[in-house]
Amino acid sequence: MSDQKTTTLNFKELAMELLPEGASFEACLTCGLCSSGCPASGLENMDPRKFIRMALLGMDEELSTTPWIWCCTQCKRCQHVCPMNIDISQLVFIARGNWPQEKKPSGIVRSCELIRSTDSTSAMGLPPEDFIFVVDDVLKEVRETQTGFEKLEAPMDKPGTHFFVNQNSREPMSEPDEMVPLWKIFDMVGADWTYSSKGWAAENFCMFSGDDDAWYKVIKTRVDAVNKLGCKVWLNTECGHSYYTMWNGIHKFNMDVNFKLESLVTYYAQWIREGKLPVNSDWNVNNIKFTVQDPCMIVRKAYGDSIADDMRFVVKKLVGEENFIDMQPNRSANYCCGGGGGFLQAGMTDHRRAYGKRKFDQIAATKAAYVLTPCHNCHSQMEDIGHFYGGDYGVVHFWTLICLSLGILGENERTYLGPDLLALLD
Amino acid sequence: MIEEARYFETELAVIGSGIAGCAASIFALNKKITTAQVGNTGAVAYTTGYLDLLGKLEGDKGAIDNPWDAITALKDRCPDHPLNGISAADIRAAFNEFTAFLGECGIAYSSPGDSNITALSPAGTLKKTLCVPATMAAGPKAFAAKTACVIVDFKGLKGFSGKQVVANLHKQWPTLKAERIVFPEMLSGEIYPEVMARALEVEKTREALAESIKAVAGNAKVIGLPAVLGMHNPDFIKTELERLTGFEIFEIPTMPPSVPGIRLRELFEQVFPEKGIILIPQQKVSSLTFDDDSATLSLTDNHGPITIKAKAVILATGRFLSGGLEAHITGINESLLNLPVTQPAKRDDWYFEQYTDSRGHAIHKAGIEIDDSFRPIGEDGRPYHERLFAAGIILAHQDWIRSRSGAGIAIATAYKAVEAVDNFLHA
Ligand SMILES: Cc1cc2nc3c(=O)[nH]c(=O)nc-3n(C[C@H](O)[C@H](O)[C@H](O)COP(=O)(O)OP(=O)(O)OC[C@H]3O[C@@H](n4cnc5c(N)ncnc54)[C@H](O)[C@@H]3O)c2cc1C
Ligand code: SF4
Ligand code: SF4
Ligand code: SF4
Repeated sequence: MSDQKTTTLNFKELAMELLPEGASFEACLTCGLCSSGCPASGLENMDPRKFIRMALLGMDEELSTTPWIWCCTQCKRCQHVCPMNIDISQLVFIARGNWPQEKKPSGIVRSCELIRSTDSTSAMGLPPEDFIFVVDDVLKEVRETQTGFEKLEAPMDKPGTHFFVNQNSREPMSEPDEMVPLWKIFDMVGADWTYSSKGWAAENFCMFSGDDDAWYKVIKTRVDAVNKLGCKVWLNTECGHSYYTMWNGIHKFNMDVNFKLESLVTYYAQWIREGKLPVNSDWNVNNIKFTVQDPCMIVRKAYGDSIADDMRFVVKKLVGEENFIDMQPNRSANYCCGGGGGFLQAGMTDHRRAYGKRKFDQIAATKAAYVLTPCHNCHSQMEDIGHFYGGDYGVVHFWTLICLSLGILGENERTYLGPDLLALLD
Repeated sequence: MIEEARYFETELAVIGSGIAGCAASIFALNKKITTAQVGNTGAVAYTTGYLDLLGKLEGDKGAIDNPWDAITALKDRCPDHPLNGISAADIRAAFNEFTAFLGECGIAYSSPGDSNITALSPAGTLKKTLCVPATMAAGPKAFAAKTACVIVDFKGLKGFSGKQVVANLHKQWPTLKAERIVFPEMLSGEIYPEVMARALEVEKTREALAESIKAVAGNAKVIGLPAVLGMHNPDFIKTELERLTGFEIFEIPTMPPSVPGIRLRELFEQVFPEKGIILIPQQKVSSLTFDDDSATLSLTDNHGPITIKAKAVILATGRFLSGGLEAHITGINESLLNLPVTQPAKRDDWYFEQYTDSRGHAIHKAGIEIDDSFRPIGEDGRPYHERLFAAGIILAHQDWIRSRSGAGIAIATAYKAVEAVDNFLHA
């Protein structure tokens, strides 16, 4: 452990600089709606209202050193429910950045370092040539073993395509077959797409370490990669924070980009509407129930309810309207799962699970057998709290269920299906 | 970055998502007027859940039993009060339509009756109100019949104390007792009603709570709980808990942040989009302009700029707390259009010396003026624009806190404003 001291920040002053008029901390009514609605309340004896009160009282030393900032997932639910629109996640971000590197949770720091260790921007440190190799290898196998997919494509570094598609490292690194369903979807809709060997990775933990400079550099690598290939749309895969860090980063750092940022979910919806993805729920003969998790990084913090509505449109088509049960609250008011903000990487397991209890209750109340979510972090966290609190639900990606519905889900692509779904495929 | 601005066209745009704004959207929906609504939820999340029409007449000591008679008296007492221009039949119709909508969407309410209900406040004092959520209805009845009752509260829950309720009521209700229990799986630290309510949506939590309640019920016939019976399906949760315990159960509101207000907010946010209302929650309109054939609202949300074009606009932006009015050194102004604000002549007159002065403070009657068709009056004494209407507590000449008439003013004026919009659009 280093003996480097944490600098004491002046939170009140910082808030003044940061927050637009009308949303300053001084407007706080101390009503407590934020704390009441924040799953991190009570952890480390802190909550959002208390944080604001302490900032106004000048208790800067306590705020500069409280480990609670690593429990706040920066999900912005507090702001969503605050009648004065006060956003404390920005101060949490600054507080995080202020911690000496050696004292920050090593998991987050390490992930950010790995991201920056190769041109891939992969948090698992997977270098470009390995990514190219894995994609190629998996593609070959699918072409050889799966009927109907002899000509499947997974283009790499193809210039001028419409879509630049990113990829979470977890798949090429530890479950490569999970990449295939999405390739099949692109194949079916005739998408003009490419992977890139540079800046391909989806995850970005540098933002969560509060390190502006590192965050910028990661985004820069990715923006350059898209620009170099001349793609029109950077299409974000099923991942919450990778979209947010890119989208917010581009604004924050005033970057010049001439492509659009889009999320896969909106395209799933569009392709289904256009009839290009002829999914249906006929397969769900046993009326298995599904719910959906709205990742705050793309719903509350970015698109708002429009993408949440797209998600529901897709889910209902996939599983049948009567088999979809919404969590409460949902869409922009949804609770963060507790895996975000680097919490899953931070090593504070007890805290993370206490946070996740809200999510567990939400899921349990639906009595659904599966949660669908277009976010890797949400996925991991919901699986973990499910096991921990004794839930009996599964968590599935959208691509899995889309291919299942289309009857094209390969045998190695069924990792997240429980016995009830597997039984339908035999 | 290449971004698309979002653009919507509707017949009506409602600015404000307090009770007035939400009521206006409901009335417009029932009249099949296409509607967009923008606004932060404001005070909705703070309400007790009780819908007050008129609980007190200014200057009177006692509370009002019959609000309909009192409204007649209001005409003499406060001639410019916004409720005065509205017939009792319209007020009743407005409350009926509003509560029926809430009921259909999952929060059952009592219909407006011929007299006020005597309801329990968080502290166990009594207050007069017109409509109560079904989850709270058994409380006033048990109080009236003095049924043997235990008020159960929870370790770690602030803002609600069974002992305090009993202390305030035991003279009138001798069979009332208080017990404190531990909420299932929430053994330590501060616990929030919102969190408890969500936990009770899970069957296992209900079963565990039912056991703990049974253990302390003694010979009670009725159990009073702080308002925590679920968030989005409270009537079901109440029935389930009654089935599991064998007792009749009622809720008492807690201090904010309280569940009944959050229930309403989440209900509106859930149901409005499903019913076709374009809802842009948690955002403020930054500019409102008019031309001959429409009004244009501009705002920005997390994802970028939004423009709404509407044939008519209802301004329901509330007062100081919500930002509809702003208090400055030089005086009070209306924040969006700078409409003239009726207000005390000078700042010194805003407040009497004593905050508790029984005459009330002049600033609490500040607001905008409207004509008979609920159109705000501009600088020149004429309606500001034929497409602009207003509703809610932004209207001048009422002190809703002192007259216990918050929801009443919001609901009744929204009803009339939508009626005027309908006439204008479809004349
Ligand atoms: C703590 C508390 C407890 C209460 N309890 C009760 C009760 O028990 N019973 C009862 O009957 N009443 C109660 N009320 C009163 C009731 O909530 C109010 O009377 C009612 O909400 C007033 O309605 P309103 O819609 O006119 O104004 P508000 O509720 O103030 O709403 C105004 C809305 O306008 C929005 N807004 C402002 N500017 C803009 C803009 N530029 N663009 C978009 N939107 C904007 C605000 O965000 C807000 O949503 C209570 C109020 C409070 C504060
Ligand atoms: S919700 Fe907003 S106003 Fe209320 S305590 Fe929290 S920050 Fe303050
Ligand atoms: S951002 Fe989320 S976790 Fe952090 S204080 Fe706000 S509600 Fe809590
Ligand atoms: S993990 Fe999911 S829910 Fe949690 S912060 Fe990320 S996107 Fe939000």
